[in-house]
Amino acid sequence: MVKNIIDVKNLSKSFDISSKEAGLKGTIKHFFRRKTKSLKVIKDISFNIKEGEIVGFLGANGAGKTTILKMLCGLIYPTEGSIFVSGYLPYRRKEKFLKNITLIMGQKQQLIWDLPPIESFYLNASIYDLDNFEAKRRIKKLSEMLEIDDELYIPVRKLSLGQRMKSELLAALIHEPNILFLDEPTLGLDINAQRNLRKFLSKYNKETNATICLTSHYMKDITSLCKRVICIHNGSISYDGKLDLLLKKLSPVKEILIVCRSEKDAVQLENAGFIVKSKTKNEITLTVENNFITSALRTILNNFDIEDLYINEPPVDEIIGKILIKKNYDI
Amino acid sequence: MISNLIKRKVFTLLKVQYSNMLEYRVEIALWAISGIIPFFMLNIWTSNNLNEGINFSNVMLSRYFLCAFFVRQFSVVWVVFSFEEDSLMGKISPYLIQPLNPFFRYFAQHIAEQITRFPFALIIAFFFFIFNPESIWIPNLGILFLSTISTFLSFLIQFLIQSIVACLCFWTEKASSIERLLFIPTLFLSGLLAPVISFPEYVKSWIYLTPFPYLIDFPANLLSGNPTNISRGFSMQILWIFLLFPLFKRIWTEGTKKYTAMGS
Amino acid sequence: MKIRKYLKVYAKFLHTSLASEFEYKTNILIDLITAIFSLIGSIFLLSIFFQNNSTIGGWEFEQALIIQAIYTILNGITNTWFNPNLTEIVKHVREGTLDFVLLKPIDSQFFISLKKIAPSGFLEIMLGFCLLIYCAIINQINLNLIFLTLCLITIICSICILYSLWFFISTTTIWFVKTWNATEVLRSFLYIGRFPLNSFSFSLRIFFSVFIPVAFITTIPSEVFLGHYQLWKILLEVMVAIIFLFNSRKFWLFALRFYSSASS
Repeated sequence: MVKNIIDVKNLSKSFDISSKEAGLKGTIKHFFRRKTKSLKVIKDISFNIKEGEIVGFLGANGAGKTTILKMLCGLIYPTEGSIFVSGYLPYRRKEKFLKNITLIMGQKQQLIWDLPPIESFYLNASIYDLDNFEAKRRIKKLSEMLEIDDELYIPVRKLSLGQRMKSELLAALIHEPNILFLDEPTLGLDINAQRNLRKFLSKYNKETNATICLTSHYMKDITSLCKRVICIHNGSISYDGKLDLLLKKLSPVKEILIVCRSEKDAVQLENAGFIVKSKTKNEITLTVENNFITSALRTILNNFDIEDLYINEPPVDEIIGKILIKKNYDI
Repeated sequence: MISNLIKRKVFTLLKVQYSNMLEYRVEIALWAISGIIPFFMLNIWTSNNLNEGINFSNVMLSRYFLCAFFVRQFSVVWVVFSFEEDSLMGKISPYLIQPLNPFFRYFAQHIAEQITRFPFALIIAFFFFIFNPESIWIPNLGILFLSTISTFLSFLIQFLIQSIVACLCFWTEKASSIERLLFIPTLFLSGLLAPVISFPEYVKSWIYLTPFPYLIDFPANLLSGNPTNISRGFSMQILWIFLLFPLFKRIWTEGTKKYTAMGS
Repeated sequence: MKIRKYLKVYAKFLHTSLASEFEYKTNILIDLITAIFSLIGSIFLLSIFFQNNSTIGGWEFEQALIIQAIYTILNGITNTWFNPNLTEIVKHVREGTLDFVLLKPIDSQFFISLKKIAPSGFLEIMLGFCLLIYCAIINQINLNLIFLTLCLITIICSICILYSLWFFISTTTIWFVKTWNATEVLRSFLYIGRFPLNSFSFSLRIFFSVFIPVAFITTIPSEVFLGHYQLWKILLEVMVAIIFLFNSRKFWLFALRFYSSASS
């Protein structure tokens, strides 16, 4: 049986925020006495993650994804509840624990700006107690996986964003951590770089069985990497389970794109009682629930002479977008 | 009409910057405290009776250093650090697109901070008078007015000098190092650490041709009621402003032409 | 075991820092000129103080030069190690990269304090040493082993106290982000270190020994250098150094706890 490598029970986090009224009068009042109020950002959440899983944390801005991630790393102290990562309490930041994890944050870098990445690698290697021989070996292995080579010897400030990202990854993984935490890793990257990152993470997970927790706004990150997704809404978990199950449950519909022979037909279809998603000239897209697909198709084919017909899943973005704005739903 | 527009811009800038300043209470207090050197210097002077040779009574000396403190508080300039930081973070580009020279923004920042600092400076003056009751005096309204003007002129001179150095950011990354270098003559020759009258003759012969004595020494002497050459002081201050302003405009135009963004 | 790791990491810090710094050679030149001018200015000021007196606070001019020399050395050390790291931590806090430091399996205070080094400070240290050697000659100092050991001990203590003061300021960036203000306050107070402790009045002497041990930092090593030392003073300085180091660490850990509870 695979153990739980991350164990979270009844976790809560509150912050004290100072509030200020707008305008000059408010500013002067604020100068003399600051009002603070307690804001509960994470409300009593619990979840487990097994070794080797890739889990995506999904949620709107400010939902609490980054806070949860940072609590898992030990950068933020929880207010209530318990967290165990690899059997350690993250906020104690024991050396053995730190050697086992890594944090990668989108658009934040740890490489030394004026020097080639290779220098930062060897610095990290010495911090993680790796000797030169071992460091060299790992750098070679990772640079092959990431497909970078000569770039490692050019100062970071002269590298392109994609090359920099790859170098950052190498620096973050040189100590071969067991658990990877990624906070919006594809932020600011172009499509190619995003794709490369996902490919790499997937490969890394397969080869090392590392556990990966990532937060992202980009649906493609979540859908291409994570089998399991935890949805955070307003500091609570609104869904924790398989991604495709979520998609299926949330959207038991399909889209039927019909290409009619004439615009008149399209207009007729429009008024035939189906849910119309969009219509342009002689093309019309209908949204039909899965249960009624067969009967709908029968009706359409019996009564209309159509040119072409396509059946599609609605775009994943739309489905997941619904999650972000929906308050709660029965799963 | 144009002057109205400018007035409105300036006023709004001031209001925004003032709000900004009030956010940073502790910082303002610290800033006020960092001007404390004149008092320590005064202590050295009086504890060792160093002023006997220069015909400056203890009371005159105390008042001088108190006024030096005030003048420093209201004429200190840090525009080169703001500008360098903004240019490193790439904030200059959006400023350049706006129809307002970014230095106006910094100017408003400085004035706003001086206004915020005023109460702290008064508190420090209050404590000073408690420890030196014999130096208590209140300057008459005319002197107060004149010294306010001369302090403002001193501020303008320092602002212009530093802005010129700040424009060097367009050519080099180390403008703040150059400023630290230029600060040294300001520190020693402006009268912050010792009144110019105490300097040896060979220094006094050329120092009045430089802008330095008019930065602290002249306004402080004016405010404290010590003997000083008022007409020379004001005319030199105005002269230096007339020399520095076109130089600043010139280097600013050259700099913006050469501008390369240095951000991420 | 641990010490070897930390030594190895420090060697890497040196290597990466120097490699970066030599990209900016002009900086080194400007900083050297600044150090020289600063020294000249202070000696100039000192000469003004001494122009009508032969001793101040029991120190003669040639002896007061020793204090200037030690101050220059300590200032050089500050500019080499403490200043660049202060800039680094400001950058970390502003850019949100402090998290990377905290997640490394290495002591964060070690990392933050020693990561960068500015080689231009080395020149200032050498400048101070040259002046010190000159002072040794003109004051006819007798150099022997005990003397040198005691000097070394007091200077190391001074460095520790100085480090604690700077690190204290660095720690406050976690709350304030911008540190020019706190840095300016420290610089203003440290400037007092250029003058003998006894040149101040009694109350300020207490202040500069107990609360902000600036004169402590330079006067005691200078006294040892002159051979006028008293053993209890040296022991006192050692104690003060230990207390300051201990408190700087406690404050840092406190700041990290705050960062971990309050940041998001």
